[in-house]
Amino acid sequence: MDLLLILGLVILVIIVLLVIIFFSYYNRIIRLENRIDNSWAQIDVQLRRRAELIPNLMETVKGYMKHEKEVLENVTKARSAVMNAKTPQENIEADNMLTGALKSLFAVAENYPDLKANQNFLNLQDELTNTENKIAYSRQHFNDTVLRFNNTIETFPGVIFARWMNKSEREMLQIPAESREVPKVQF
Amino acid sequence: MAEKRLMVEDHIRRNKRGTVLVCFLMGILFLGVVFSFGYIYFRNIYISLLIALPIAVFYVVLTYSFSVQTVLSAAKARPSNPNVREEKLLIYKVEDMALASGLPKPKVYVQDSDNINAFATGKKPENAVICVTTGALRKLKADELEGVIAHEMSHIQNRDILISTVTIGVVGAIALIAEILFYSMFWGGAGRGRGRNDGNAIIIIIAIIFVILAPIFARLTYLAISRRREYLADSSGAYLSRNPEGLAKALEKIKQDHPKGKPKGSKMVAPLYIANPFKRQTIKSMWSTHPPIDERIRRLRSM
Repeated sequence: MDLLLILGLVILVIIVLLVIIFFSYYNRIIRLENRIDNSWAQIDVQLRRRAELIPNLMETVKGYMKHEKEVLENVTKARSAVMNAKTPQENIEADNMLTGALKSLFAVAENYPDLKANQNFLNLQDELTNTENKIAYSRQHFNDTVLRFNNTIETFPGVIFARWMNKSEREMLQIPAESREVPKVQF
Repeated sequence: MAEKRLMVEDHIRRNKRGTVLVCFLMGILFLGVVFSFGYIYFRNIYISLLIALPIAVFYVVLTYSFSVQTVLSAAKARPSNPNVREEKLLIYKVEDMALASGLPKPKVYVQDSDNINAFATGKKPENAVICVTTGALRKLKADELEGVIAHEMSHIQNRDILISTVTIGVVGAIALIAEILFYSMFWGGAGRGRGRNDGNAIIIIIAIIFVILAPIFARLTYLAISRRREYLADSSGAYLSRNPEGLAKALEKIKQDHPKGKPKGSKMVAPLYIANPFKRQTIKSMWSTHPPIDERIRRLRSM
């Protein structure tokens, strides 16, 4: 009689443990996937912030940099490209274009001491540098969340759950080769 | 880059394992003291648990509830001023690290002090605070400051504030119980005149020695935990900023720094800082709250 009781208890404990493991993995996979979506949305937030700062920047510099039409036009064109990008790939390419155009603008602005003394311009420069950093970090975080998710659904026992829940690996953001030499911008 | 990252993650894993070990030790110490108390006093282990456990829990909860205000006022910290460019850039950097870690943005405080230092506090990541000295803002370059902030962000991310408060609470509780026992033995003479045989007397003596030594061991254990968490924050921070060299250079500057004036704030909050402002921590010592700076720099550079 005792043996049966013990056996019953052991089986009960095993079942309870299995249920707990089941819940924890199911929830973990859902949570990690939600984090990916959240971090993707964050990138968008930062990109929008940058896009919104640009008209203000243009207003401030155009009085001073009248003769730098090409540089100014590049920024405006790049900005429209970003706003009109449809696929993630287009998005990333347009974004790189904008980053490059802004870099040129700030480089050229070095030659205009009046502009550099303008407090508005300095604030905008800080803001834009800040946004560039934030875009970089939000992308980094996105890749981190994807890595954590992929690790969970590729290793055991997550892989079993993933197949059952129909979850597949997510792709990380690929940074195009040209912008790899550009480290995070320092103030 | 993938190879480098694995190294950092190895460091993180190793440091986490060390913490578990030391916390386990602390738990055993606590139980040992409680049981000794029970045995010496009541010849009954379970009664003491009934008394000691509530004391310990109450103590820990109390210190934890007021941890943020205590720390901030002890350190004489003030909220950062976004109108000062240095502090505005600091706020940006803290936001960056919050983005990189996925945690909510902590409040940013500043301590007006010439030495280079920073600390983090807060009961939960949702109401966390990071404080940096004006000396650090002035003397550190952008990537070095970023390394420091990443380190502090990691403390928040790894729940170090919770861990260290609970641990200090347990250490305090152990010391408290030991003191109660000691004084009551002095005054009450527990065990005397109870007509017990010698066998139990030996156990009592062992228990007494244990109770005297326990607070010391508890403190040493707490310091060991503190050092482990510092290494962990270093490696997690390096992962966040993807730049271990930044923090390495900042630590070197801290090593060479000769600040004017005494460090502000009470000694109690020393363990929360990135480097102990009250003692130059160059030697490997059981009694340090932080690991030796050179060893930290070496580990960062090997990532």
